[in-house]
Amino acid sequence: MSTEGTPDPRIAALQSELEAVKRREAEYRVTMVKEFLDRGERNTYLHVLREERAALIRREQEASADLEILTRKIEDAEARIASLEAQLQAAPAPKGRWGKAAAPAPAARPTVPGAPFTYYLHTSPFRIYRDQAFTLRGWAWPEDGRPLTAVRVDVDGKLYPGRTGIAEPEVVARYGARANSPNPGFEITFETPAGRHAFSLEAQLAGEEWRSVMRTTIWCEPRAQ
Amino acid sequence: MSDSEAQKRWRTSRAPLGDRSNYKKVWEAQSGDGDLAALAVAGHTDEATLELTARGTIDMLKSTVGIGANDVILEIGCGIGRVGLPLSRECLHWVGTDISSGMLRHAAARLASRPNTTLVELSTVGLQEFPADSFDLVYCTIVFMHLLEWDRFRYVEEAFRILRPGGRCYVDNFTVDTETGWRIFMESYGYPIDRRPAHISMSSSREELRTYLARAGFEDVRVHDLPNGLIAATGRKPEAP
Repeated sequence: MSTEGTPDPRIAALQSELEAVKRREAEYRVTMVKEFLDRGERNTYLHVLREERAALIRREQEASADLEILTRKIEDAEARIASLEAQLQAAPAPKGRWGKAAAPAPAARPTVPGAPFTYYLHTSPFRIYRDQAFTLRGWAWPEDGRPLTAVRVDVDGKLYPGRTGIAEPEVVARYGARANSPNPGFEITFETPAGRHAFSLEAQLAGEEWRSVMRTTIWCEPRAQ
Repeated sequence: MSDSEAQKRWRTSRAPLGDRSNYKKVWEAQSGDGDLAALAVAGHTDEATLELTARGTIDMLKSTVGIGANDVILEIGCGIGRVGLPLSRECLHWVGTDISSGMLRHAAARLASRPNTTLVELSTVGLQEFPADSFDLVYCTIVFMHLLEWDRFRYVEEAFRILRPGGRCYVDNFTVDTETGWRIFMESYGYPIDRRPAHISMSSSREELRTYLARAGFEDVRVHDLPNGLIAATGRKPEAP
């Protein structure tokens, strides 16, 4: 029994215990709310915006893939044309309309050899180039594990050096960090004069040899300034 | 930014009355920078006054619904976190919600030193982002005046849902039958009809607030005349049977 004015230690202990239980219950509710918010992001405006952004990126990637397929088909057709022209050149001099030579393909500079890379280009090179210059952005890892120390673009033999060492946190988060290439991002700005050009994206490995990451043909039709 | 510059920007940031229901648009437009946001949600820009008025709000909460050290509290329309900053020192956890991500950005900066706080952007009117039976106290202060009646009731309904049994609810607004309320009313009265802004302050009656809480299911519903001239309605969610 407690004496009036003097708190009973047993009651005080029970009250303290009750407070502790209330606090644990409240902490549990805070955790529950946070977990609900994490899961419930699916219903939020922010999530809707993220979904829309991801859908737009997917559409852009699909459009770039279609353009790449088309570009490769055109390149195959050009190769067949070149082969047929070579046969015609070897044959007796043609007459009539066969005598007129087709427009020459882009001057093929001796290119550096290729090498396997894991890479992705944020700004696809498969497009009609409408501006005076274009900045290619992406990331690349040489598959042999050597560091990528420099990048450049070769357009009809003219070289445009780029910048490497750009952070790609989403890539590292997805594929894991590579000791030799902690920041695999790069960007290269190159001129896009009117006409059709041979394009090669090239990377230097371990400060030594250059290797081609990818090659294609590009078409440039800059808008009038 | 000086107070007069902020006032000028605030005036030009106003959306027309027809946009009143588009709360996200209206309040994003007024959250451009810290001073503009503070002026839009609190009526002043200096930190000392913000702190002083926040203390006043906390005192009103204490005197009407009480605040406990173990309380998990949610504010509807927290704006820049004016009340949340000092209140988070007196409760277990404080959750600030707002329909404007811009306002929450300012709140996040102000609350950076308070680990027991969470900020949530509401996707639309309501508290659909939160689970039921989770909070000890849900309050909404100096917000109802900017909402249409249906949206006021929606928030009261939602407060009932997310409160735990026994949890408390507090909402306030101005009313035209007090001197303060009449002054606010007459300020809005001065707008030309075709230039009333979307956020123009609109009053509540005691019966309106009492009805919202009672219809939502609260018990022990009371209407309080506050020292600052506003009225508040409070209620308690019934304990589970």
